Amino acid sequence: MTQNYFEIFNFPVQFNIDLNKLQKSYHLIQAEIHPDKFVSASEIEKHQSLIKSTKVNDAYQTLKDPIKRAKYLIKINLKSEQNNSALPPDFLIQQMEWEEHLESIWEQKKELEKFKLTIGKEYQKILNILENTCDKNKNWNDAMKIINEIQFIDKLNHKIIKQINAIETK
Amino acid sequence: MALLQISEPGKSTMPHEHRNAVGIDLGTTNSLVAAVISGTASILKQANNSNLLASVVNYSSDNTIVGMEAKELQIHDPQNTISSVKRLIGKNLSDINPKNYSLDLQDKEGVISIKTNQGDKNPIQISADILKKLKITAEETLGNELYGAVITVPAYFDDAQRQATKDAAKLAGINVLRLINEPTAAAVAYGLDQNKEGNFVIYDLGGGTFDVSILNLSKGIFEVQATHGDANLGGDDYDQAIFNWLCENNKINTSNSITKQKLYALSRKIKETLTNKTTLIIDEKIDEKIHIKCQLSQKDFEKITKNLTKKTIDSTRYALHDAGLSVSEIQGIVMVGGSTRMPCIQNTVENFFKQPLLNNLNPDEVVALGAAQQANILAGNTNDNLLLLDVIPLSLGIETMGEIVERIIPRNSTLPISMGQEFTTYKDGQTAMIIHVVQGERDLVKDCRSLAKFTLKGIPPLVAGAAKILVTFQVDTDGLLSVSAKELSTGIQSTIEVKPSYGLSDEKIKKMLEDSFNLAKKDKESRALSEAKTEALQLCEMIENAIKVDSGLLNKKELNLLQKNLTELRKLLDSSDRKRIEKLSKLLNDNSQAFAAKRMDQSIHKALTGKSVSSMEF
Repeated sequence: MTQNYFEIFNFPVQFNIDLNKLQKSYHLIQAEIHPDKFVSASEIEKHQSLIKSTKVNDAYQTLKDPIKRAKYLIKINLKSEQNNSALPPDFLIQQMEWEEHLESIWEQKKELEKFKLTIGKEYQKILNILENTCDKNKNWNDAMKIINEIQFIDKLNHKIIKQINAIETK
Repeated sequence: MALLQISEPGKSTMPHEHRNAVGIDLGTTNSLVAAVISGTASILKQANNSNLLASVVNYSSDNTIVGMEAKELQIHDPQNTISSVKRLIGKNLSDINPKNYSLDLQDKEGVISIKTNQGDKNPIQISADILKKLKITAEETLGNELYGAVITVPAYFDDAQRQATKDAAKLAGINVLRLINEPTAAAVAYGLDQNKEGNFVIYDLGGGTFDVSILNLSKGIFEVQATHGDANLGGDDYDQAIFNWLCENNKINTSNSITKQKLYALSRKIKETLTNKTTLIIDEKIDEKIHIKCQLSQKDFEKITKNLTKKTIDSTRYALHDAGLSVSEIQGIVMVGGSTRMPCIQNTVENFFKQPLLNNLNPDEVVALGAAQQANILAGNTNDNLLLLDVIPLSLGIETMGEIVERIIPRNSTLPISMGQEFTTYKDGQTAMIIHVVQGERDLVKDCRSLAKFTLKGIPPLVAGAAKILVTFQVDTDGLLSVSAKELSTGIQSTIEVKPSYGLSDEKIKKMLEDSFNLAKKDKESRALSEAKTEALQLCEMIENAIKVDSGLLNKKELNLLQKNLTELRKLLDSSDRKRIEKLSKLLNDNSQAFAAKRMDQSIHKALTGKSVSSMEF
């Protein structure tokens, strides 16, 4: 299996993919090659099933997640995983503002939930920019910068959810 | 392991042949065995006509006693009677509080060992004795030798606990088709595969463990989204809470193990009675000195166990968070495990999810029933289209500088999974290195569970940092880890020595197995020869069939090579030259890997293109 992850699922190599179709294709493939289908088979088949099933799982997990998918796309196109791009200054200012805001509402569940919505919208907005940068402009250096921004927003989002959970479990 | 081959020489299993496959729920308190008979999963009854086999073993005499009979001996013979062994499996002494046990517990090379009249027994051997009993029940009921079993484990069991469970099955002479997670088995039993779609929560509170799993169901595919839990929280803790309450309220302070046993038994009885009664008056004479007189209501019981129940809800929240789901996105909640009978649990879970619970199946039996269905499918007895895609419950990582854990495989990754990690040498000419694998979510090594230390040997001596060793961590569908390593600049495959931090090494398991068979050397050799022949024959048949169907995938040179290997091996099958048979089998095996890989790729291709477009776009 020398195909890349997109090819395994018969997808074009691009950021925008049909996630529904991805899941269905994933299920169809695993239904054929999963180790559970080879319990009584020979050692060779068991071994190959394990290898292929593992790779298909990895491919699925990579493509399912937009950040992982974008990183993989850059890796294919630039043949490198290096990401040395720094965050742009205006994003750094935005980042600081968000962090300060989060601190000020740390113990307020309602405010946290409101902030979560704001961040969610921001995430979606940047995701759209990422799609354009990858699929239309094919500017991989820009894409790397955007991934850094998304990763920050993603982490912030998790931090908010974790704190909401913490308040709820108190 | 070759010693466990079940089929006899020359008897290759044809696809249509029915195989006796069972599901086993190896529980903390009770164990069950179930099988699909005439299309329906049913519990196989024990000799005493009960569905449950008490997970209690007594070693007071040479005759090992398992089940209710052993449980009855516990009060009088606590030192030789072992219950709740599931809480000890895959652990060492420092993981538990020996004070909670009336047993003589010792540490024997990292494994807990219990002194009994029959000698030292470790949790693997004790679990194997329970499994042996279940195997006998199964073979007597089904009338034939057992082909294999699906054994259930708590989803939250770590690698050491899973490995130990599998070793116990080996020791009992059971061919393990698969270890599956208890919640997943319960989901199968609820027939959630039948036309149900959406997200389901499986809340499983057993005797000694708590698990919560979130599953997404779609067209017969069970995809586990997230799992969370506590391998040390269960009904026993609710007993303990009553025990503590009894001692506190009646000013009891005893170290007598028989008195303690009686108090535990009373605590359990109180808990069970409170399932149907709102208030209970307790008037019980324990011994000469202690007479308990008090009253406990369901409400008070709920109060003294509130922190335990809260822990399960906290776990549930984490699992939902990991799955990226909210309470409103859940289509159903399945209740599993005898402890979910407690009204305080039912109420709390129902309130949390704000919907009625699915609890119409017997919570004690649902796991075994699901395992039986899965065993039936894995053994190839049915064409049911069902596939379980389960996850690894705890992250795997390795120790780096400063005793910090570097995560290699994150928890809730779908199995099977593998990850590669590159390492380099620290000193000039270094030819070996130790890799410490841990499991857990914390950042410091000491807060995680040490699984094993791997020694990589045979690294080519180069200047520091020049050797690049790729270590691959593979976790299979049983949730078990294996490790391989390769030096990248020279392509040298490094040898790996695995020293498990817990449990037993492969050699020890093999030794225990051989001891249990008690084979003479000559018998061993003839057994090994017949096994080598059986395996060689199966290999030949498999490859010949594959060539018949898919010779188009091979070029002439590849085809000729395989056919040459096949002819030679076939000829050897009449000889008694075990070494050569094994050598040629290995050669044929190696030479056909690429062919097998191509066939697998072809299956993938067919899976996606063989279906019509309309069925792809449901």
